[in-house]
Amino acid sequence: MEMQTEKKKVLLSIRDEKQYFPVKKTGFREEQKYVKANDGISLDIYEGETLGLVGESGCGKSTFGRTILQLYPQTDGEILYEKDGKMMNLKEQPAETMRGLRRELQLIFQDPYSSLNPRMTAGQIIGEGLTSHGLYKKGDPALREYVLEVMKKCGLDNYMFSRYPHQFSGGQRQRIGIARSLALKPRFVVCDEAVSALDVSIQSQILNLLLDLKEEAHLTYLFITHDLSVVKYISDRIGVMYLGNLVELAPTEGLFERTLHPYTKALLSAIPTTDVNAGKRDRILLEGDIPSPVSPPSGCKFHTRCYQCQEKCKKDVPMLEDKGNGHLVACHYPLES
Amino acid sequence: MRKGRYLLKRLIYIIFVFFIISILMFTIYKALPGDPVKMMMGDNVKPEVYQQQYDIIREQLGLDDPIPVQYIKWITNMLRGDFGYSTEYRRPVKDVIGVPMRNTVLLNLFSMIIVFAVAVPLGITTAVRKNSIFDKFIQVITIVGYSVPSFVIALLAIYLFAIRIPLFPISGVKTAGFEGTGMAAFLDSAKHMILPVLVMSVGGIGSITRYVRASMIDALRMDYIKTARSKGLREKVVIYVHAFRNALVPVVTVTTWWLIGLFGGSVVIESIFLWDGLGKMMITGLSQRDFAVVLAMQMFYVILSLVGNVLMDIAYTLVDPRVRLEN
Repeated sequence: MEMQTEKKKVLLSIRDEKQYFPVKKTGFREEQKYVKANDGISLDIYEGETLGLVGESGCGKSTFGRTILQLYPQTDGEILYEKDGKMMNLKEQPAETMRGLRRELQLIFQDPYSSLNPRMTAGQIIGEGLTSHGLYKKGDPALREYVLEVMKKCGLDNYMFSRYPHQFSGGQRQRIGIARSLALKPRFVVCDEAVSALDVSIQSQILNLLLDLKEEAHLTYLFITHDLSVVKYISDRIGVMYLGNLVELAPTEGLFERTLHPYTKALLSAIPTTDVNAGKRDRILLEGDIPSPVSPPSGCKFHTRCYQCQEKCKKDVPMLEDKGNGHLVACHYPLES
Repeated sequence: MRKGRYLLKRLIYIIFVFFIISILMFTIYKALPGDPVKMMMGDNVKPEVYQQQYDIIREQLGLDDPIPVQYIKWITNMLRGDFGYSTEYRRPVKDVIGVPMRNTVLLNLFSMIIVFAVAVPLGITTAVRKNSIFDKFIQVITIVGYSVPSFVIALLAIYLFAIRIPLFPISGVKTAGFEGTGMAAFLDSAKHMILPVLVMSVGGIGSITRYVRASMIDALRMDYIKTARSKGLREKVVIYVHAFRNALVPVVTVTTWWLIGLFGGSVVIESIFLWDGLGKMMITGLSQRDFAVVLAMQMFYVILSLVGNVLMDIAYTLVDPRVRLEN
């Protein structure tokens, strides 16, 4: 396992990534405060893998995905992207270079309703990126051919080409979003809650579609979701986030079998099951709400809700440490050790 | 096909509404106090023949007929293109109304061009650079622009640009006794038009800039703008194609009402600049009980707003494919 990981090629290397958003001031003389959506995240994403990212609402998962793609002006840290054997810091790329790189770095949005321009047909939405990157000329019959081919791959029929988004169902819209990003033949795709808005039956269809396309085009996914059963099904590795920080990062099996962080443990215990014979499960209930990301707690950010919090947790910030088998955890007192 | 049927339906509605409003208007104006014939005769008539002449004029104008008969006569003449006889100007309404209408339309047309040329780019820029110093500065300017009454701006403009620095004439449509033609005439009327056009534009620029800014900010906040950016489109395409097209609907509404207002004329500005336009015409007509003129103008506005509404609905379908013209 260890050996394998080292042989893999790093596609994205993220070091101490920070993304703060200014809070609107209420008083005139008040000090400018920030929502610390991502507060120093470091991780590597390997080529060809699916990295799942889970966490509560508001923990900064989506922000992380969007910041990697430079959709926000990044606050701090390095996001290194491998291209032709060189690592490029995305933050420092001039706008025109970044625009070119966007073809390779794609995003599938969470909300299939607001993410499609209501004034454009499905064909225009999918084809626009292609003409913008000069892959096809506008009005070229080959463009139409190619768009129809991609649409077919994503389970959209030919007649849908000249329809507008409002004429589609949620599942179909999501497929337009997927077709849109995959048409550009990207290397790295951020799936930001790509299936959360869909019915369970359509969810599995889309997940299988994503897996098929990944095999075919050798894609790398960052799969952001709050649905643990989805993430277990699709990911090679899983990262767990809490309040803007990565608390645990491990291969999928390792995470479920040898859970090290108390927060992950609580999260996993909340997965619903249909097995009536499972009996009483040890459901760990976390007390209180997620603290404000404007002024997060000192020390370990999770200490206010942790069921085995100790004095040290309130003062020292735990670092992300390797506990073997590529299993990383940020906790002073990890479980099972 | 469906569009054709829809438009036919709307046309029938327009005719129907037009007749109902015409009946209401006619009745209201007939019920107004004041005697147009008395106003027309003035005080210079000898008392001995006053009653006799009064009766003759009333007879001539058909004012002694019962109201329904008067209405039928009026509306049939109206549809034939005969808008009646102005008791104030003692000429057919058709001849009286031509020049003021030309003046008003010219004035409004130029100010509309200026307003849109300034307000749309300004609104887009302030939306894109939201909360910047530039945006805040424009926000203050526009709020002043549309909240200061136009007569204040007019008087200020006259004081500055006609009295302090005498660049433009204080008022009027053309220089008194001016007889030139062609280019000279054009330049002369242009010189007279600049001040009123500018003053009229100030309020419009203020409000339309804010409309465009608000709807652009809404559009720019949508996820599909992020989609457009993540596609790797140029920022210009993102703003002008993706965001602005979606911000157009409220702009279309405002524009249509503006177009209708084009013919309305502004009473205040026309009075201050002694501009011989429709607004002034309407006020004189009302105070002189010149009902033929006022009614003709009112009916003209009715048709304008009815047609304008249909045009607005058609424009909506052009900017937003989700809008369908159906029953």
